[in-house]
Amino acid sequence: MSIPAVPQSYQLSDYLEKLPGTTFRKLYQQPSSAFAIFRRMLPPLAKVFVQALLYMPQPMLLSDLDVWVRPEAKMHRDRALSILRSLHIVQITPPGKDRPQEVQLTTNFRNSLRLALEGGAAHNSFGVPSSLPVDPRIDIAFLDNYARKKWEDILHYVVSSVPVHGDAGPGGMGGGGPKASVKDLLLAGRLVERRPDTKTGIGITQAGFTFLLQEANAQVWTLLLLWLEAADQAKAAAAAASGVDPKNAPPTKPDSIEMLSFLFMLASLELGRAYDTDALSETRRNMLPALVDFGLIYIPREDTRQYFPTRLATTLTSSASALRSVSSGFTAATNNTANDASSLGGADPSAHKGSIIIETNYRLYAYTSSPLQIAVLALFTHLNMRFAGMVTGRLTRESIRRAISFGITADQIISYLASHAHEQMVRAAAAAGRPVLPPTVVDQIRLWQLENERMRTSPGFLFKDFENVEEYMALAGYAEEIGVLVWRSDRKRMFFASKFEQLRDYLKSRKKEG
Amino acid sequence: MVRAIRGVLIECEPAIKSIIVHLDSINHDFIIEDLDDHHLVVKENMVQILKQKLEDRLRETYRPEEPLADSD
Amino acid sequence: MPPKRKAPPVGAQAPAPKAGRTSAMSTSGPATPRSLDDSNLSDADEDLDDDIPEEQKKKEDLLSKEADEFVRKFSAIKRGLNKQDDAERLRHYDAATPYFKKKDFSYLPLKPDHYNRPLWIDPNTQTIVLERFNPLSEQATDFLITIAEPRSRPTFLHEYVMTTHSLYAAVSVGLRPKDIINTLDRFLKTPLPASTREYIETCTKSYGKVKLVLKNNKYYVESVDAQMLQILLNDPVIGKLRVQGTDTTSSAPKMGGLVIPGTQNAAGVRQANLVDGPVAEKKPGDQDAAAANEADLFANLNEEDDDDDKENVHAFEIADSSVETVQKRCLDIGYPMLEEYDFRNDDINPNLEIDLRPNTQIRPYQEKSLSKMFGNGRAKSGIIVLPCGAGKTLVGITAACTIKKGVIVLCTSSMSVVQWRQEFLKWSNINPDDIAIFTAESKNRFQGSTGIIVTTYSMVTNSRERSHDSKKMMDFLRGREWGLMLLDEVHVVPAEMFRRVISSIKSHAKLGLTATLLREDDRISHLNFLIGPKLYEANWMELSQQGHIAKVQCAEVWCPMPTEFYDEYLRANARMKRTLYAMNPRKFQACQYLINYHEARGDKIIVFSDELYSLKQYALKLKKVFIYGGTSQAERMQVLENFQHNPEVNTLFLSKIGDTSLDLPEATCLIQISSHFGSRRQEAQRLGRILRAKRRNDEGFNAFFYSLVSKDTQEMYYSSKRQAFLVDQGYAFKVITHLANIEQTPDLAFSTPQEVRELLQRTLVDNEKGAEEDVETDDLFGRTGRKKKAGALSGVRRTAGMLSELSGGQDMAYIEQNKAANRALKQQGAGGGKSSKAAAMAEKSSFFKKIEREKEKSRAAARAARQ
Repeated sequence: MSIPAVPQSYQLSDYLEKLPGTTFRKLYQQPSSAFAIFRRMLPPLAKVFVQALLYMPQPMLLSDLDVWVRPEAKMHRDRALSILRSLHIVQITPPGKDRPQEVQLTTNFRNSLRLALEGGAAHNSFGVPSSLPVDPRIDIAFLDNYARKKWEDILHYVVSSVPVHGDAGPGGMGGGGPKASVKDLLLAGRLVERRPDTKTGIGITQAGFTFLLQEANAQVWTLLLLWLEAADQAKAAAAAASGVDPKNAPPTKPDSIEMLSFLFMLASLELGRAYDTDALSETRRNMLPALVDFGLIYIPREDTRQYFPTRLATTLTSSASALRSVSSGFTAATNNTANDASSLGGADPSAHKGSIIIETNYRLYAYTSSPLQIAVLALFTHLNMRFAGMVTGRLTRESIRRAISFGITADQIISYLASHAHEQMVRAAAAAGRPVLPPTVVDQIRLWQLENERMRTSPGFLFKDFENVEEYMALAGYAEEIGVLVWRSDRKRMFFASKFEQLRDYLKSRKKEG
Repeated sequence: MVRAIRGVLIECEPAIKSIIVHLDSINHDFIIEDLDDHHLVVKENMVQILKQKLEDRLRETYRPEEPLADSD
Repeated sequence: MPPKRKAPPVGAQAPAPKAGRTSAMSTSGPATPRSLDDSNLSDADEDLDDDIPEEQKKKEDLLSKEADEFVRKFSAIKRGLNKQDDAERLRHYDAATPYFKKKDFSYLPLKPDHYNRPLWIDPNTQTIVLERFNPLSEQATDFLITIAEPRSRPTFLHEYVMTTHSLYAAVSVGLRPKDIINTLDRFLKTPLPASTREYIETCTKSYGKVKLVLKNNKYYVESVDAQMLQILLNDPVIGKLRVQGTDTTSSAPKMGGLVIPGTQNAAGVRQANLVDGPVAEKKPGDQDAAAANEADLFANLNEEDDDDDKENVHAFEIADSSVETVQKRCLDIGYPMLEEYDFRNDDINPNLEIDLRPNTQIRPYQEKSLSKMFGNGRAKSGIIVLPCGAGKTLVGITAACTIKKGVIVLCTSSMSVVQWRQEFLKWSNINPDDIAIFTAESKNRFQGSTGIIVTTYSMVTNSRERSHDSKKMMDFLRGREWGLMLLDEVHVVPAEMFRRVISSIKSHAKLGLTATLLREDDRISHLNFLIGPKLYEANWMELSQQGHIAKVQCAEVWCPMPTEFYDEYLRANARMKRTLYAMNPRKFQACQYLINYHEARGDKIIVFSDELYSLKQYALKLKKVFIYGGTSQAERMQVLENFQHNPEVNTLFLSKIGDTSLDLPEATCLIQISSHFGSRRQEAQRLGRILRAKRRNDEGFNAFFYSLVSKDTQEMYYSSKRQAFLVDQGYAFKVITHLANIEQTPDLAFSTPQEVRELLQRTLVDNEKGAEEDVETDDLFGRTGRKKKAGALSGVRRTAGMLSELSGGQDMAYIEQNKAANRALKQQGAGGGKSSKAAAMAEKSSFFKKIEREKEKSRAAARAARQ
């Protein structure tokens, strides 16, 4: 069984690919940005290529790269090169008859990455630590808790827009959820939509559910990219209003490249350390309130000259394996506050990441005490009992169909279950050479979805009783031409069209002519 | 004389169509035109009722929703 | 042997048998004829007649009332939260609480070392969740199976529920309330909720306090609680019945020297003694072996007891004649008595010379189940639940070898009777003269002073039509006192029938055996009263992982119905609907495809159909052998033998008479084309047919179980309902919506619209008149002698149900005698003398040659048609 990938929502790579080359040149002026892109965006082979090229005085023959590639891995080579090109990291000479193709790093990227790795020069690209005394209470655990709370408020806002068993969702989220600006962002990004039929007035969308099902790190990026786009649009709108070319807009409105490089900088900072806000440019200082709202940084109320990146920020560009540290960091944070750790027989509790066990009889057990995760589960599970650190429930036809009615797909649910599978499931599956989720359950979830799709309806008009073949053929043909034909049967001389008026007029004019 | 009849085209599997035809046979109040194994046209105002009746019909073939054995 | 407890044999003293007959008229009985259509999910048919003496009737009525009372008392105990819990609950509330309504128990704090503890409990319903991957899981499982009912046992987390019945069972195997509470508390991740403690205390307060013990052939009322005994002695009814001067106090009984044969213990004893002594005394040197052996928690608990308080029991004697009165009175005042049989001190009933054969070793789970029965060195009555193929028979035989007194075995069919006797001879050293059979054909007795009788429930409950021989035999059975009554397949037998058996035949210990305690009726709790508590229930998945029963791949194949069939289905009445979804040509094709596929793999296939019409149509069209109710005894033997030994006969079609009591270890694949509505039990029973597959321990071996269902019909609903039990045992049913390359199956049936239409027409015409008349059949090896008579009386006979019907034995008579495949076998058998395997193998029968020729011909025709 192959677990379908979650239909990815907007991702950083999609965003970057749309940017023009000039933007990249600007972005790569910052060593932290070049380093972040190198760390996060490149597959291993592409990294090998970059390292090989980094200190090459001259362009290299493209064919020389094959030294690092096994002949059968040509596909990987091509993919690596394609990524490097799309991110404007390498330049490759066009193929010609006389000269073999050559490859080299783009100038800005090469220079910045060298700087980043050598650590030389005072470029401030990796942040300026605060020289002021630091409140000892602001430690890593504090920051984890703070970030978790902020982020969960946002997620809760998305998930709790779903009513519980027909009545209002668990109200009293505490503190009224995220800031209005964040809510607007979620609405603008269509993660939630206004729905007068729900008590909260908003409802989750399919994109919203996709968002919920992502790893924390991907979620953060999804929201940040929405933010960047909103900034670009605001800037364009402001420019249009003032009649100025957006490229020359006043610098107070940060552009997305500026914002992006700031995010890359944050990612390079050290968790638990205080940094100096005065060392930031004005545009960057203007971004701080929003980053506080997202939970990426913490600024003490008493001393706004300091900012602390949280785990959400420092793991932004971590490689895939380190991504888990976000959730395990949260697990640790949860354990600090609530005494009821997700419990695992014997094993070290912090060692596991997945929490869900789904049995062949559709019973579901999740080792969690997080109201947020429980709320996510409630989207597609009939929950039953809750103990400290564990909840039980069952996937039922009703619970799945309800989720589907919210636009959540069977594949999304399956993917969520797979990616959150408890280590016991993973281990048992690996030992037996079986898929992690019981295939029968996966099939059944899909079958439940199919049950919903057994009948399609389209309103319109049935045309029949034509006087002759010609009339039928002409009108059906015309209907097809103007795109209103839904179904036709030449044998029965009938067709079904979604609209009526144009066909009536056509028929009239045809009659007149005839 | 050509006629254009307002209605809803239903596209479905043969079994679903059979059920609709069967439901219709009681009062003949759903179907406007039976087109083929996969298509028929029904009255617009009867679509919701039809969907409901169809669901009722199919429910007896679904995996039963076992109440959780331990829910009292 | 004078009768000891119950009233003297019926007939000897019954005042007026004629009066009994008239009075029976007024008693509610199964006097209403039933039609097949309303036979819905019922298992509660009766093979009882009311033609019984008044006295017997009264006894049964009394038992029935008592059972009801027992059930009522049990269900009266409330399990809910108490106020204290509730207040605690309200203090904990967060955003997720509303999802759980009243079932948010996160207020129960975790113990600091909760990782090492495997259980959670719902203090409301007493549902227990068990982590299977916890280091203590094994011990916890042993404990839970003793105190609670398993509800869900898939891979990682199991659920159990404590019920009044399960706690009753726990108490009866010797657990004390404080043991239960302490052990549960030890395994729980959270402190034991107050409501749970309360529930356990309430349930166990009145149960297991008083025992009725037969010792030296005197009946004693026994209790560990001296006060309890005082209460009874002060009771106006019971007090008077005490035999004066018989009060005793002695130390509580222990497993002591008792060794269950076939266990490692027994092996050790044998080694030490070098002989199989009748009751082997345990040598001090065996102590270690014993400790290692009794790994289960329950045994450990008992051993702990040995260390601290040496418990005393107090008892007084009552007269044989007052046993029933005392029992009844104890129930009335809320202290139902547990029965125990101190067989080692029974000097009156003669010992039976029986032991397991020296090389017989019973499996760990069999031993575990028996240790519940013999936990304190006496025999307790109860029910042991093991999947089909897991060796229930051997458990029964081992129990008989432990008690070593007269045994009566009750089976559901005469075929089982034969098998039980064979098994006794196979596993034990019983003298063949000491084990006799009582069936319609055979009415032997053992010659010695004691022995074993194997019979069927219907033989001992059906008093009508009883021949002189049978009557004499019944008097013999009733006139004795049996050490052990073995009740096979207890789930299929109606409570009424048990009542009759139990009230007419006297036994000291009763052991019920079954694969599933499932009944679609609600009589399980009655069984608890009539036989005893459930002593043990095995875990199917575990046994399969350990190789004791076969691993099975289960699949549900969805077969869409062709439009014309489906249109007809929508219009049809309930009876015809069943026929139509069984005769769905797509299902037929799927069946054909699967048979081809599995025969090619070397599987032996059983195809089950509840519908006789489709059974015959399928079998005839596919040229396969079949057996149904109307198949004669000789023919059945022949067909079965060929299926087992003839490499040409690999597929056997069976009507529901094959659901139970059929041991065909050759079978490795099972296909269901039609079944009995939503019967979870039938599903489990049928699966049981392949669990003992001979090849189960071959590397990578899998047996296959297919249910073919017609899409968008009620069959889908029934099918998933049927699977519920197995799914909760951890079986997974894969849904197959498409069989790959089915259209390439050679000679695929009904592949043209023309053939489909013809099939539909024929099906409608053939079944127009409704179901054909039933014929009485006993079982697979039915009493064919009665068939004719039953046929003649058919209209009348149906007024009373039959046991065979319950066990699935009833089928429509198909007067047209078996032809094609079966007939060929018959001819072949006749030619080869006895239907011997050798004969079958030696000459490739003309039948198969003929089938081959026919197949070749039709293939050629098909080829010609294509060109």
